Amino acid sequence: MQALEKTQASETIDTRRLTGWSPKVLLRDAGIGLALLLLIVFFSLGTEHFLTPNNISNILTQITINLILAVGMTFVILIGGIDLSVGSMLAFCAVVGGTVLTIPDLPVFQAVALATLAAVGTGVVCGFLNGWISAFWGLPSFIVTLGMLNIARGAALQVTDARTIYSFPPSFNAFGSQMIFGIPVVFLIALVLVAIAWFVLSKTVFGRLLYGIGNNEEAVRLAGHSLMFYKVAAFTIAGALVGIAAMVYMARLNIASPIIGIGFELNAIAAVIIGGTSLNGGRGTVIGTLLGACITGVLANGLILFGLSDFMRQMITGVVIILAVIIDKYRERLTGV
Amino acid sequence: MINVETVRADAAGVLTPPVLELHDVKKAFGGTKALNGVSLSVQPGEVHGLIGENGAGKSTLIKVLCGIVRPDEGAINLSGRAYAPTTPREAKANGLQVVHQEFNLLPYLSVAENIFIEHLPRNAFGVVKRQEMNVGARAALDAIGLSDIDVRWPVERLGIAHRQLVEVARALMTQSRILILDEPTATLTSRETERLFTIVNDLRSRGVSIIFVSHHLDEVFRICDRVTVLRNGETVFSRPIAETNQDELVRAMVGRKLQQQMASEMVSLARPEEALSLVQFRHPQSPHAEGISLQLHKGEILGIAGLVGSGRTELLRAIAAAELPLSGALRLEGAPVSFRSPREAINAGIGFVTEDRKEEGLILNMPIAANVTLASLSDVSRAGILDSKAEIEVTQRLGAELKLKYGGPAKNAATLSGGNQQKVVLAKWLARNPKVLLLDEPTRGVDVGAKAEIYALIRQFAERGLALLIVSSELPELMTLSDRIIVMSQHRVVGELSRPEFSEERILQYAYQGEQQQARH
Repeated sequence: MQALEKTQASETIDTRRLTGWSPKVLLRDAGIGLALLLLIVFFSLGTEHFLTPNNISNILTQITINLILAVGMTFVILIGGIDLSVGSMLAFCAVVGGTVLTIPDLPVFQAVALATLAAVGTGVVCGFLNGWISAFWGLPSFIVTLGMLNIARGAALQVTDARTIYSFPPSFNAFGSQMIFGIPVVFLIALVLVAIAWFVLSKTVFGRLLYGIGNNEEAVRLAGHSLMFYKVAAFTIAGALVGIAAMVYMARLNIASPIIGIGFELNAIAAVIIGGTSLNGGRGTVIGTLLGACITGVLANGLILFGLSDFMRQMITGVVIILAVIIDKYRERLTGV
Repeated sequence: MINVETVRADAAGVLTPPVLELHDVKKAFGGTKALNGVSLSVQPGEVHGLIGENGAGKSTLIKVLCGIVRPDEGAINLSGRAYAPTTPREAKANGLQVVHQEFNLLPYLSVAENIFIEHLPRNAFGVVKRQEMNVGARAALDAIGLSDIDVRWPVERLGIAHRQLVEVARALMTQSRILILDEPTATLTSRETERLFTIVNDLRSRGVSIIFVSHHLDEVFRICDRVTVLRNGETVFSRPIAETNQDELVRAMVGRKLQQQMASEMVSLARPEEALSLVQFRHPQSPHAEGISLQLHKGEILGIAGLVGSGRTELLRAIAAAELPLSGALRLEGAPVSFRSPREAINAGIGFVTEDRKEEGLILNMPIAANVTLASLSDVSRAGILDSKAEIEVTQRLGAELKLKYGGPAKNAATLSGGNQQKVVLAKWLARNPKVLLLDEPTRGVDVGAKAEIYALIRQFAERGLALLIVSSELPELMTLSDRIIVMSQHRVVGELSRPEFSEERILQYAYQGEQQQARH
């Protein structure tokens, strides 16, 4: 009885807790945020150029694509899946979008709109296939997306005959390097995607069931929900985000090549894991993913400013990934967070 | 037989020194005192019952004894020497074996490999001597009378009851002085339980001491020489079995007088209207064309009895469309229905409380409120957006109705005791206001106090006109709850009893008869 009364008293707090924002989750995200802050302080003190507006917008630009891919990856990992195909899909989406973008005599606005549609559409189709094949035949997504990794890369090469597409409309390219108050517009787009993903995951029935599936599929199925729908949807969302990332890539670098994006899936997975999402599914937030992407970006940039070689940087990033998982393990054991 | 008597006399006497002695053992996890002064003394060749409600400290005590958890305070003596194991291996080396409640078998390895996993017979090159291992495993299984399985089968092929017995066989492989059986009968039917008791008697006669943890008091009275009751981490009671009775034990466990409603006092609440009927309903595992036919009325509680493997769980799963039925007709409130997915069954008004709460019923790492609303999310959302307030209201309303003891709607379901977890599962279905509720082993792993509460709730549901179909391996439970019991054997209905005809003997007779008929075919 006492427990019941206590519950009613703390109702106001509870409302927020239910939606994925429990103090525990908050604490976990805060911990990752703290790590990011320490990194920033460290590099600010250690190097001259780190905290300059120029460098900051540079970092933000650099992490944008990884962040967009990682947001999609968060959906997939939350249901206990993995998507190894996003790097190849990025190339495939880019060459499809790039082909549309370079159709001669098309007004710029229409060309960009159609290209976006084509790139996102390509991502949606690939993502849908990933999800549907693994859900329908009950295959591990690791295998299915490994297949898609090859299919999409091959398709990208086939479509372009291994050539690079360039000379996009100048205004499209200008958009890619546009700034608002020193913040790259493309990063703002990524932030909007993070906000939408956060809302979907923490406030909607859809998000609730993704977490549910990641934790206990059978319980969700027996409660009358179609696993197929949610699994396919998670992969399709990841695919759509790859399409958006491909457009951002083209806007920034002014090319679409069938060999771009190699290894991007691993960077996206790293951001998600550093952000505290469990590879087993069912646990994690997209805010964590945002912080995770920032950590990898800050680390890469700061280490270069320190004068470390790219090889050293890669090794240190690897150490950080492993450290993040170890810390997570202890955090779980010590605090039950 | 004579041997047994002497050992028993020894156990009752004061002359023999105890093989295991615990004095004021304490253990706290954070702020929670899991053990708060446990004292216990086990004689050689004694079957020592250890009982208590869930959360009373039994599991922690076992973990202390087998070296998984180290106590904060207190003394443990094994055969007169101080005993403080730091690893399970050390506990085993000291002759202490545990058959755990949760299964520790490796599903893809063979039965023989599982039995020998700790000391596989190897030749000089480290290659496993398969022949020797299989022969040894065969002997181990024969020793406990488990002759109907092949030692080369992978464990995943075995049913839950057989797995439990394989665990027992494995524990017996090593010479042990003390064998701890943690809820060994929870998954066994009466037939296998009998088998286990024979094994226990045999071990006792060989001087092995057995600590028998159970929720079933009748079993404790049948098999134990002495019984110790834990409550809130303390020993509250320890006495030879002959000097106590069931009422006293229950009182010691719950710490209050429990009002046990007797079966005979209950009145059937069945109404004339039909809620659910099956006509020649077959699930995919059923070998018989005639399938199962039965009728369930509104407000009626229909119990399904039968041995493990008689097709009870499969029947419920097929009705709920968890597995699609093979053939036959289903009528809900007179209208023919056929479900192609659990979703369709749920929408039509069927709720299904599964046998395995942790694997299929609950999402342990998600909030209680999220579990309660899992099957009725459309009621607590608008346009796909969740209304947390509504979720909490539903949880608090049903929580109060079901007398759920919980820290708050946002606490994870994993924080609850077994009984309260089961109440969350019930709440999940009540939130949908179903017409028919299927319950598979509704009180498995639930302590005595919570059991009585769940029984009362089930009766309440029936009063409201809900039709209930209950599968249970505990016959007293079925006889307490049901208005009518059907007995299943080999996927057929072999008997039906109305309330005045209820008796354990009759139910078992039906169940075994069906079995024997099958054997003759």
